[in-house]
Amino acid sequence: MVHFPVGLLCIALIFEIIDWRGKSGKLKYAINILVLAGAGSAVLAVIFGWLLASEGEYGGDSLEIHRWSGIATMLFSVVTAFFIRYNKIAAFRSFLFLTVFGVSFAGHYGAMLTHGDDYLSSVLPFSKPEKPDAQEADFVLTNNGALNPQQVQELNVEVRTILAHNCYSCHGEQKVKGDLRLDSKDGIMKGGEDGVVVIPNHPDKSELIRRISLPSGDKEAMPTKGKRLTEKEVTVLKFWIEKGALWPDGKEKSIYRVAALEPRLPALPAESGDIVQPIDRFVNVYFQKNKIEWKPVVNDRIYIRRVYLDIIGLLPPTEKVEAFVVDKNPDKRAALAKELLSRNDDYAQHWLSFWNDALRNDYTGTGYITGGRFDITKWLYTSLEVNKPYNWFVKELISPVKGSEGFIKGIKWRGTINSSQRTEMQAAQNVSQVLLGLNLKCASCHDSFISDWKLADSYAFANIFADTLLEINRCDKPTGKIAGTKILYPELGEITINATTEKRLRQLADYLIQPKDGRLYRTVVNRIWAQLLGRGIVEPVDMMDNMPWSEDLLDWLASDFEKNGYDMKKLIFAVVTSKTYQLPSSSVKEPGDIMANSYKFTGMVRRRLTAEQFTDAISTSFKPMYPDSAIVFNLLPEKIKTKVSFARAALVKNDPFLTSLGRPNRETVSTSRTSQANLLQALELTNGNKFTQTLKSGAKEWIVKYPTTDTLITELYKRALGRNPVPKELVAARKILGSKPSEEGIQDLVWALALVPEFQLIY
Amino acid sequence: MKSTWNRREFLQRTSAATLAALAAGSPLANVLTGCKPGVNSTADTVILLWMAGGMAHTETFDPKLFTPYKTGMEGNRVLSTFKSMPTALDGIHFSDGLQSIGKVMDKGTLIRSYTAADMGHILHSRHQYHWHTCYEPPQTVAAPHLGSWIAKELGPKNPVIPAFIDIGQRFTLGEGEELKAFHTAGFLGNEFGPFFIPDPSQGLDSVRPPVGMDAKRFERRNQLYNELISNSPVGEFGSDYQRESLKRSMEQAYALLNSPESKAFDLSTEPKESYNIYNTGKFGLGCLLARRLTEQGARFISVTTEYEPFKGWDTHENGNTRLVEMKKQIDGPIAQLIKDLDKQGLLDRTMVVLASEFSRDIMVEGSPDLKVKEQVAQPDVLSDMKFYGMHRHFTDAGSMLMFGGGIKKGFVYGKTADERPCKTIENPIKIDAVHQTIYHALGIAEDTQYEVEKRPFYTTPDGKGKAVMDLLT
Repeated sequence: MVHFPVGLLCIALIFEIIDWRGKSGKLKYAINILVLAGAGSAVLAVIFGWLLASEGEYGGDSLEIHRWSGIATMLFSVVTAFFIRYNKIAAFRSFLFLTVFGVSFAGHYGAMLTHGDDYLSSVLPFSKPEKPDAQEADFVLTNNGALNPQQVQELNVEVRTILAHNCYSCHGEQKVKGDLRLDSKDGIMKGGEDGVVVIPNHPDKSELIRRISLPSGDKEAMPTKGKRLTEKEVTVLKFWIEKGALWPDGKEKSIYRVAALEPRLPALPAESGDIVQPIDRFVNVYFQKNKIEWKPVVNDRIYIRRVYLDIIGLLPPTEKVEAFVVDKNPDKRAALAKELLSRNDDYAQHWLSFWNDALRNDYTGTGYITGGRFDITKWLYTSLEVNKPYNWFVKELISPVKGSEGFIKGIKWRGTINSSQRTEMQAAQNVSQVLLGLNLKCASCHDSFISDWKLADSYAFANIFADTLLEINRCDKPTGKIAGTKILYPELGEITINATTEKRLRQLADYLIQPKDGRLYRTVVNRIWAQLLGRGIVEPVDMMDNMPWSEDLLDWLASDFEKNGYDMKKLIFAVVTSKTYQLPSSSVKEPGDIMANSYKFTGMVRRRLTAEQFTDAISTSFKPMYPDSAIVFNLLPEKIKTKVSFARAALVKNDPFLTSLGRPNRETVSTSRTSQANLLQALELTNGNKFTQTLKSGAKEWIVKYPTTDTLITELYKRALGRNPVPKELVAARKILGSKPSEEGIQDLVWALALVPEFQLIY
Repeated sequence: MKSTWNRREFLQRTSAATLAALAAGSPLANVLTGCKPGVNSTADTVILLWMAGGMAHTETFDPKLFTPYKTGMEGNRVLSTFKSMPTALDGIHFSDGLQSIGKVMDKGTLIRSYTAADMGHILHSRHQYHWHTCYEPPQTVAAPHLGSWIAKELGPKNPVIPAFIDIGQRFTLGEGEELKAFHTAGFLGNEFGPFFIPDPSQGLDSVRPPVGMDAKRFERRNQLYNELISNSPVGEFGSDYQRESLKRSMEQAYALLNSPESKAFDLSTEPKESYNIYNTGKFGLGCLLARRLTEQGARFISVTTEYEPFKGWDTHENGNTRLVEMKKQIDGPIAQLIKDLDKQGLLDRTMVVLASEFSRDIMVEGSPDLKVKEQVAQPDVLSDMKFYGMHRHFTDAGSMLMFGGGIKKGFVYGKTADERPCKTIENPIKIDAVHQTIYHALGIAEDTQYEVEKRPFYTTPDGKGKAVMDLLT
């Protein structure tokens, strides 16, 4: 506020010029007042500015420039006032010019302090700097001697990564606490108000190391907020200082890995023995590199159960299993996959759940009662049923046709909401996350700490979806700035800023689905891979900048997908007929191991049936869990009535039973489900009403259909597990059924069988 | 140098797996951030008594001048529609109908300055979400319920009693979906979600073998399950986490359903005399169930008067007459709950919190200095008794009660004005302070956070919630 009257000096100059040229002298009195007021407030501005700077929230070069140019300007203005007082017109005019120049100069740096240094450039289109081409920093602490340039680079990246995650928020661009900046070489070497923090070659004497090593209760311990540095992080920093706190010459490498945008078609590795299929050839190279042996493929019973569950979400019927096992056709597995993929409705009813999760589509949920949300079920079902090419599918989600608007419209809550949750921003976040495997959530509140994405990038992207341009809010506080209108990857094309929203969305859709947008297609093939193999080639599946376990495989799959006309079913077919998919399943000790960077692919990761698969498995092998009336007919295509053989769980509203088995509430995007069991789930299955009622009503039917114990047990095993019971199982089952089945006995047998891991897992 | 270097290498290797998992951003691989349960804690258990629908402070725990009804009176003149009654605390009065609770106030703290957020519209669903998760909806990630945070950080107190029990709310009524949105463990995972007992009188059904199954059959069925597992040829796969977690969860369920503690869920075993004091309806029995579960080692229990639009505390008309009923429901059971816990020595380590999403006023919607959309038709002049009462949603003050678990005894915190709209004038307390006070008492560190989608998500937004130390002994 105290800065505003300084502007009066500029007006004084304009008046003076008018007077001078017009030779009138009419404004002389006004100029007098303006100069005096301006000079007075410049003095005040300097005093207040000095006080503010000493509080330590601001810092950096901008502050220093602003500080000294401000003081100079203040002195100029005082001299100007002095000259006008004593009528030295020529001197007055010269100093007034100088003062006004000072005001603009100091003012510019002052604005950079309060609004960020991109406050001018950020509103210009395409101001985003090119991202450096970064590679995965995979530094291993083994080198004891001198470091080569490559290692210097990697160690430096690792150090900057640690500082970025733990220190930048108080010692960076936004805040410079203790006059210390840790986000640049100069800042680190210069130190803060208490002196240097890093003494090269002497970690033990370096203040930085001392502060991060203090126990968490200590007043001087750093960081003061958030989690402490891990022991490994401290070790890395010490090692770096010990080696001389090295900083590579030349352009700094981004500390984040950034995946290439464009597609890449890697050369197909050579065939070898029965390793013929392209996927297998790439996996073969990976196996060789990692010294992993090919194991024999799984038997027919396991295979048929897998593909049934993976392609249509159902257990294979007994007669199909038996026929498949005796079938002598050497291509029977491919034939089976083809047949299942041709069952359009069964396929749609299975994949509907996956897409409902990802696209946040549900039959009930918040927002529907107030008209703040629209479902896309009819459109989605039909798209899956006709196997809509994926580029087209994406186009209709972004540039909506009738029935597909719900995805980008998001959920509109009544009242005022956090600016990072405006529906336009929801659209930007969800399109990025689901379609591009990119986390924009952080950068929709402030510049991201986990990537190079800036707040302005998110707003520029969100503006594509907005009818009126959005004002940038930083951490929910208005900044007065407006971002441009721009795709996250400007190389894909330019959005016409003045076009209607409809036109902009059409442009966005067209740009995103271009073949050169390799990221879109890598993201989707990786998702499908994760669905079929239990773990993506990249994990998490929403962070496509992470390192794939095989770049060649991922890139080839995406390129092949494009070549095949973005055909989902062809992609699935290629995967499930590969030897790779048919390998015995693998598992890990801890769930975290699956996501770890150290993960090695050895075969499909064993998975738990989803809520829908489990429910449908009970429905087909024993007794339908939901009545037909539970199907949300009004939300589904008209013809659905003739296309369902029973009420599949994907087609009913969420309820406590399905929730306990892991069906998410689709308030936010959800792209993976946990495979871990828990107590609430076990309780629901042990005494929950839904399952208990199904057991009771099913037993009533079974006792009539299968009046003898052994036929009943065998039938149940075949239906549920696709095999005959082994003798020991038969003995155990007979014990509970007795010589003649009772309703209670049937209930208990079905219950026990449904809960064994063999039934609940895809193995 | 060489030897230290080896040590570093060792450290680096041993922690590599964990670190890598963290780097991958897996929510499953999150690591607890420096919180050790029981260290410096003053409470082990929390009971939340939820006054769903907006409880008017001036009609309950912060009464103002009684203004009897007269046809044609100005609404603006109405301060309280009930008389004030003395409590155990000198100079502190409660509204008529809450005398029993008034008598136990020497055992707890009265807060008169809870201030709710203003989120444009004053809406039950959003404010309830905000109260229970500490985050304003909507959020980019699914925010966990207070009870889920506690369940995650401290786990069950007794392994056979679910760590987070939610008593009394059905989701089949109006705004059920909005209620579900915050009755969840969110990104923490279903494991830490609420165990629902919509009807306390049916509580036993949730924790015993299915209705109609006797203990012998239940045992036999479980034995069969174990036999089938051990005989399954596919069981040869050896151990892996899915299989193990399936088996472990089933063992836990079996243990719970078979445990002597599960009798606590059976209200019919409560002595008649005590049962009758609690039996003022579903809420009262919920308090009884909460007490019985606390005795057996519950961690977090929420008992609600149940939210249903325009029912319960959500008085859009007939505020005065409806509150007579509401007070009958809560007064006896809450006072008895405090007395019972105290008598058994449980109150020392059990924190009981009574709260509501916001308060009400007869004329002001939101807070006096902020214009929001009025949602209740309320005439300036009261032509009918049905307009007599606090019908609009008020955010600038609100009453809370806290007992036990380290909370001061016989203490009053905060103050409201004596003239309409009776807003907070001293020590305003916001939701993040309420949550942090609870976490503090439980010994949960204030910087507790998990990384979800690479974002550190704290128990209170940005980890900024500060415990109100004045409330604690």
